[in-house]
Amino acid sequence: MTAASPAPRRPPEQRLLSLIIGLSQTRHRMTREQIRDSIEGYEPRPRGGDEAEQAKADAAFERMFERDKASLRDLGIPLETVMDSGFGDEIGYRIRPAESAMPNIELDAAELAIVSLAVDFWTDAALGTDAKHAVTKLSSSAEFGPRVELPFAGRATVSQEAVAALIAATGERQVVRFEYSSASGGTGTRRIEPWRVVFRNGIAYVVGFDLDREQPRIFRAQRIGGLVTPVGEPGAYEVPEDIPLGLLATTGEVHTAVVALRPESGHALRRRGRLTGQSDGWDQVEVDYVHADSLRAEVLALGGGARVVNPADLAESVTAFARAALEVPRG
Amino acid sequence: MAETAHDRLVRLLGIVTYLEANGPTEFSVLARHFGVPDSRIRTDIDVLWGSSSDRYDPVLYVDFDSDSFDQDVAKLTKDQGLTQVRLSSREAVALVVSLSSLATAQVAPGIVNQVLSKLRGALSEPVTVIDEAPHVSQEVTPALLDAIRRYRRVTVTYVDAQDRRTTRDVDPHRLVAIDSVAYLECYCWRANDYRTLRLDRIEAVEGDQGSVTSAPSDTAGFALRRRSRATVTLARAGRYAVEVIPGVTIEEQGDDVVAHFDVSDMDWVAGQLLAIAPHLRSVAPGELHDALLAQAQAVAQAQAGQATTAKEPRQG
Repeated sequence: MTAASPAPRRPPEQRLLSLIIGLSQTRHRMTREQIRDSIEGYEPRPRGGDEAEQAKADAAFERMFERDKASLRDLGIPLETVMDSGFGDEIGYRIRPAESAMPNIELDAAELAIVSLAVDFWTDAALGTDAKHAVTKLSSSAEFGPRVELPFAGRATVSQEAVAALIAATGERQVVRFEYSSASGGTGTRRIEPWRVVFRNGIAYVVGFDLDREQPRIFRAQRIGGLVTPVGEPGAYEVPEDIPLGLLATTGEVHTAVVALRPESGHALRRRGRLTGQSDGWDQVEVDYVHADSLRAEVLALGGGARVVNPADLAESVTAFARAALEVPRG
Repeated sequence: MAETAHDRLVRLLGIVTYLEANGPTEFSVLARHFGVPDSRIRTDIDVLWGSSSDRYDPVLYVDFDSDSFDQDVAKLTKDQGLTQVRLSSREAVALVVSLSSLATAQVAPGIVNQVLSKLRGALSEPVTVIDEAPHVSQEVTPALLDAIRRYRRVTVTYVDAQDRRTTRDVDPHRLVAIDSVAYLECYCWRANDYRTLRLDRIEAVEGDQGSVTSAPSDTAGFALRRRSRATVTLARAGRYAVEVIPGVTIEEQGDDVVAHFDVSDMDWVAGQLLAIAPHLRSVAPGELHDALLAQAQAVAQAQAGQATTAKEPRQG
């Protein structure tokens, strides 16, 4: 293979493979000029063309190389930039093989089958593709064998588009903007420096610094309406070592309610609670709870099968919610 | 979906790593391992063969044994340092979050946590995962997994969303975690139909009622048996409660949001709506509105200490 032979059309992945080999094997670094010269797939600087042709070729190379850098980063390869004062201000690049290679994770066939469940979990196309790539990477060194059938599976039904965008921005340390409906009712545009995505019992939150309120805040991803838009440059801020997880980290204070249940109803409450007595044909059960709104929702859903006896404010809010429902117009 | 350059690159690096670990391999085996046609592997090897850090130096190209290639066997002779690369942060998240959901739902105790800890040990953890144990009975999951593995029919005691307790014979097929909540996909011989039962509502699993005779459902239990389409308008503050309804679409309308979703069980949806009653602006269709009013009436009477006939317990 020489430069003189007519160049067949090469797929972009071959150029990227060559770039990976070159940047991993270079002793020190490769400059853009060196990359353009030696990696098959880039057009070397034309010889003897006029200035306009040169400029056009230079711009085409720059565009292609920028795209390829992004492709390598998407693949998970950390690309290092190396400045060398001995050679002016020209930037060089390299890949450290120890940092880019897949760490040795020994997974047997059954464990790989578990990992593969991730592919069917995501209904969101982007994360589904990510999961597929992850499974291919993890199973690359495993010897081919019969598939292990598993008696279980997982599935997400809520869209994770916002979550995927937040994770990307968190990794890049890039400010994001989104529309948010807060629990207290207000909707507005938020600009935050995302610090960390937290999943609590399968629900996604992002902890970050709210640039308008100038305070760390926690946002529930499901309450984000529309797109999460990156703003400004990557690497725009530092993530603190200790991220305040606030209410997410603790389960909160435990209270006890007394709930009266009709016979044969409130089975879940009975299992969690303690039976303390009976009156007028109702069973009295003591139930521990952390979030009053969860217990209220549970009692409401029993449709008259349960009555909150104590605390009084919880009992009143159950009644208030039932009254409010009676006023709702037919749509 | 058409294959992207990214898809191919992940597989190309995978092929090099596979051959380094397992030695010369037939194209057909590689094809099955990576889930592509045999012809695709031949093209892939060609692409690898033309990769090099220096286009002018033939020694620096990735190299394969030509005789083996002619016999449809990939024998790598020079890898030029190529190997599979680590997970990107998004890939790591896609794995850790989905497996954490399975762990939270406790559908596969033991092995999922084992895999998670191996992954977390090797990757810098991209997200924080906080899990609390749900109220699934300690005996239920192992008993069902055992029955699924041995193809045995069992009797389960189940409390449904309307709080009715029933005992039913089921052919258990699979445990699924949907949004971190565990369900049993099964054929129910009481309903003579496929059912998806919430694991935390199964109180007991008993007996061995013979062999499973039904085939697993094609729709994998996720499909709702649709009865009608609901349209609910509510203040934005109540949005979180309708966002969790499967298949919901939500549109904004000034300060309100309008949610559309399929309803298979009026009473269950009415119960969910009751929890956000102060935020509701309107509820359709009439059947759902009626169910909401009936439940609200029954709650108000129960809370006032009055007798009601709105909700007599039904026996299974």
